[in-house]
Amino acid sequence: MASAKIPAQKVILCGDYGVGKSSIFRRFANDTFVASNDRKSTLGLDFYNKAFCSESGTDGHTHACQCPPISKLMVQLWDTGGMERVATVTSSYYKFSEAAILVYSVDNPDSFNSLANHLLEVASFAENAKIFLCGNKIDIITSDLVSNDDVDNFCEQCGIVSGIFKTSCKTGEGVNDMFDEIARVISTSSRSRHELLQLEQSFKLTTADIDSAEQQPDNCVC
Amino acid sequence: MDEEYDAIVLGTGLKECILSGMLSVSGKKVLHIDRNKYYGGESASITPLEELFEKYSTPVDPAYGRGRDWNVDLIPKFLMANGQLVKLLIHTGVTRYLEFKSCEGSYVYKGGKISKVPADEREALGSDLMGLFEKRRFKNFLVFVQEYDPADPKTWKDFDSRTQTTQQLYEKFGLDANTQDFTGHAIALYRDDEYLAKPAGDAMKRIKLYSESLARYGKSPYLYPMYGLGELPQGFARLSAIYGGTYMLDKQVDEIVMDAEGKVCGIRSGGEIAKCKQVYCDPTYVPERVRKTGQVIRCICLMDHPVPNTKDALSTQIIIPQKQVGRRSDIYVSVVSYTHQVAAKGWFVAMVSTTVETATPEEEIRPGLALLGPIRQKFVTVSDYYEALDPGQSTQLFISTSYDATTHFETTCLDVLDIFKRGTGEDFDFSKVKHNLGDEE
Repeated sequence: MASAKIPAQKVILCGDYGVGKSSIFRRFANDTFVASNDRKSTLGLDFYNKAFCSESGTDGHTHACQCPPISKLMVQLWDTGGMERVATVTSSYYKFSEAAILVYSVDNPDSFNSLANHLLEVASFAENAKIFLCGNKIDIITSDLVSNDDVDNFCEQCGIVSGIFKTSCKTGEGVNDMFDEIARVISTSSRSRHELLQLEQSFKLTTADIDSAEQQPDNCVC
Repeated sequence: MDEEYDAIVLGTGLKECILSGMLSVSGKKVLHIDRNKYYGGESASITPLEELFEKYSTPVDPAYGRGRDWNVDLIPKFLMANGQLVKLLIHTGVTRYLEFKSCEGSYVYKGGKISKVPADEREALGSDLMGLFEKRRFKNFLVFVQEYDPADPKTWKDFDSRTQTTQQLYEKFGLDANTQDFTGHAIALYRDDEYLAKPAGDAMKRIKLYSESLARYGKSPYLYPMYGLGELPQGFARLSAIYGGTYMLDKQVDEIVMDAEGKVCGIRSGGEIAKCKQVYCDPTYVPERVRKTGQVIRCICLMDHPVPNTKDALSTQIIIPQKQVGRRSDIYVSVVSYTHQVAAKGWFVAMVSTTVETATPEEEIRPGLALLGPIRQKFVTVSDYYEALDPGQSTQLFISTSYDATTHFETTCLDVLDIFKRGTGEDFDFSKVKHNLGDEE
């Protein structure tokens, strides 16, 4: 791979079981949708890297897709692995994340009400992560069971929400826009984690012959 | 929970999490339960700091900065950079969830002071542990061990590591008692002197492991994960979950149910029964099926300074060989700090541990504590060391041994790989791990 190694920005999906976190992940990774009766719950979803171009810098990486010399941002989206089905997600899941997407289902007010708990976990283990709110399954119903006022109240109370989105993984509506916006926000925020780590010289274990983590697709979506 | 599983794993300590991950990867349907609300059991890193004080019934002291910034291990260990656990992490892909730092120094205690462990020829010549002639002999010894290939008799130089002992190997090179001491304990990492009378092959392998590990990242052969050792079991738990393992925390296990033939057939929690063909667990879940074989003392020390005479290292390991302090087993000191995100800015966590030999274990670790300088807070634990009564094939109940006093994960991994083999009848097949889950196509 010719392009310089771009630090991946970790973005995590949080929310109750069944709100569609893995569906968002599949849309992000493959732009596909699998209906719930065609699959078991989350199995085999780990994380996925995808490159975004933003105009926020001019460090001029050269890469395959002939973008103008603008900076390229690697968004690394993590799924929970289904751990929240019965237990809780590990605290490791939150560590090093740059952003967290709090997902609820618009047809399930309980999933919205429990976002406060998920937010607390994010704040505990990834205090610098940017918070985004995502109401999923907007294809299901026409009148939201979670009103805009509810959402506004939530954002006002926690005071740190960087973006609010409505999506449908079934139709794909809103998903790309959401990630474009998240990539934009992350790229303009400080790259503190990456720089901090470089300064402090931590590293991932790799070997020359067994390393798939380096072999990421170069599918820039600018 | 009322389902049937291939295997139920009890306890989310590191060993059980690695096993759970390997079983899920091998296509087994796994249910993984912990009685605690958190992942990791004894392998967890305690956070926030207030919880550590509560655990030891000590009044919380606000002097330590933000409690959330602390992640304190209960069992101190480092990873050997070229060791078994690193291989497991890389082959399973779990390394992708973790960040590591190299430990800055590896020291050995001699005559009341500490010296850097010399692990290659260059360091041997510069070491203050040996006189001039001894340095030459030690250098020749290291070169011989590095070049020794068990498969190539031409490298043996009339020494057969399968039949001749380590003592004979030392004598072949004329190494004195002091050099034997730090070689056996600070490089080959033996806990006592039983190895001297055994075939030298194992000791030579261990010495090679040390120097190959050192060669990987430089300053020392040891690695430590950011946010503490508790990240390790969590990483393997995620692996297990991704391959379909189901996790339940805060769940009491009331009974391991056996069938008429004395084989495991499930576990009971309250009125619920989960059926299974096998159970894997740590000794705390089956007190009637393990025997106590010893005790380990561990003392957690919170400090606001690095260990004296380590060049202000932010992480160190110091080994006090048994003979230096008139003991039968070594004392280990390991130090990590804020640079690993395990303590608030400016703070250090030192751990002194050893195998208990007397009725007053706190006295036994005194030589280790004396190296640390002023200690702000100490937390002492004496834990029993348990082994399974039987290997488990007849009952299909496989029990891991407690974590020993060694400061690295080699014995941990050997136990795990051995249990996996007893449980499944085969060695773990790393090719079953697909790294392209989700992140390719």
